Amino acid sequence: MPTESKVGKLSDITKIIKNGDKIAIGGAWLGNHPMAIIRQIIRSGIKDLTAITVVSSIDIDMLIGAGCLKRLMFSFVSMEAFGLAPNFRRAIEKEGLPYDEITGLAVIIGLEAGGRNVPFLPYRGPFGSDLVKQRPEFYKVIKCPFTGEDLIAAAAITPDVAIIHATRADHAGTIQMEGTSATDIEMMRAAKKRIVSVEEIVSTEEIRRSPAKSKVPRFQVDLVIEAPLGAHPTSCVPQYVFDPWHMMKYMEMAATPDTFKQYLNDFVMKPEWEYLEAIGGMKQASILRRLAREVKFLD
Amino acid sequence: MKHYADDYSVGELMCVTLSKEIEDGDVVLLGSFTPLAYASYILAKITHAPNITLLAYAAVDPRPFQLSFTRAEAAATRGAALLWTMLEDLNSVHLKGRGDVEAISSIQADQYGNINLSVVGEYDKPKLRGPGGAGAPEVIKMHRKMIGYFTSHSKMTFVPKVDFITGTRYVIDPEDRIKSGYRPGPIRYITNLAVIAKEKKDKPFKIESVHPGVKVEDVINNTGFELEVPAPVKETEKPTKDEVKLIREQVDPYGTIAFDFKPGKERLGYLKSILQKELESIGYA
Repeated sequence: MPTESKVGKLSDITKIIKNGDKIAIGGAWLGNHPMAIIRQIIRSGIKDLTAITVVSSIDIDMLIGAGCLKRLMFSFVSMEAFGLAPNFRRAIEKEGLPYDEITGLAVIIGLEAGGRNVPFLPYRGPFGSDLVKQRPEFYKVIKCPFTGEDLIAAAAITPDVAIIHATRADHAGTIQMEGTSATDIEMMRAAKKRIVSVEEIVSTEEIRRSPAKSKVPRFQVDLVIEAPLGAHPTSCVPQYVFDPWHMMKYMEMAATPDTFKQYLNDFVMKPEWEYLEAIGGMKQASILRRLAREVKFLD
Repeated sequence: MKHYADDYSVGELMCVTLSKEIEDGDVVLLGSFTPLAYASYILAKITHAPNITLLAYAAVDPRPFQLSFTRAEAAATRGAALLWTMLEDLNSVHLKGRGDVEAISSIQADQYGNINLSVVGEYDKPKLRGPGGAGAPEVIKMHRKMIGYFTSHSKMTFVPKVDFITGTRYVIDPEDRIKSGYRPGPIRYITNLAVIAKEKKDKPFKIESVHPGVKVEDVINNTGFELEVPAPVKETEKPTKDEVKLIREQVDPYGTIAFDFKPGKERLGYLKSILQKELESIGYA
């Protein structure tokens, strides 16, 4: 008997992500964010989402600018060398977007607690940080029941849906990761439903040739979408680097709400294959892949 | 006999000074892409500290790599001895106090060892919403040393009290650190003017050295809190000719370190020139 297939199309995400859901978004820095899924969320007009991220960049900025979020949980949102995140800043400084700023460790430990099905996990957390005072819903100072020591309890984080981008999968949904895995695996364990875009779908036989690369089992995956260059303009190493030329374009167009609308029109509100054409097509893809290959070591 | 360089940038001086914070055998974390800090760790790895373990992105113990603007993550990943997740990283390093150095920077830093990466102004109605702290608020407490680097030493950055405490060293005195389960180590800030450090909760930051050509008054006048000024004040050791050559030819041939020192309006043009060189390096003109 053939095994059940988890493979679907980008447009199938609306069967899983609903208005008002809490979604955890994988990747970190300018690396490995599930950007094809992010663009599809915007295209589909999904609204009122609460986004959960550890260290984010254009993924969160784009969702905010497109008006998809009602709340944000984050430890870091920055375009790194390209500057502060323009839509994120505007939404908080001018429009009062509600948010929960949590330390990076508390996001990861909170997701781990969610995955373990416990309401919190203790650690020697950020004593003295104003974040602890600001967000008592996520931090509590507790006494260790064994030693009496003060510890910080990080509240469990339980997303409705986790969305991540990975290297490859088979049709059954076993996920392989060869690059920056961030806190994607904890997100997958903590979430009720999970969507994964991958660079390529391969046979189960091929997955079984390198089981050490497999990081998420099929029963923790609900939808697999083949999306080559699906992390663009962020990276998916070791295959391709982030696209600094597109990042510059984004920063230019995200500078004002009007020009950002134009960005969405030019790059997002069209089928994904047209997006890949708009960012420079095969030529641009080959530059980004080549940069990721041609690295120089000094030993 | 060391041959000191006559021609070096303040970025190169800071890079070499930061690299001297790395001791052989250290566990060194790269954090967000910050060219100056990355360059200093790689310089340490290929000079005085070959036995350090670098942690970069998902990569554990990557081969030292040449910096470029786009390729640090790919290089670290391709040269890794092991790839792990953030949870494995914090279980193995952060929570055990096993990290030695992870240089951070901050919008504001104050006399108590607090940093602010969150907001300028009121938390709920900020004048500036910063990026947030990522790992910084906790690594500055957990790792052996708290090392900060600041490319613009001014009263805007070094304030008496930060507007918001995103994170804090929390336990500073060596005996308190040991009691709390952490290894003792200093708070040390390397700036474009000087090196300042604090080792006791009740003592102010002390000027450890001023950079060649910088007056002690310049450091005092650009710091918004009291500094202990020893007499005499030492001069920061200059980079050697070999160190400058290594940075320019091996570690950072594309000039990424200089990026952080460019004024806002020159950054984009400078970035484009680096990217052009990167394209040329892979055969695209």
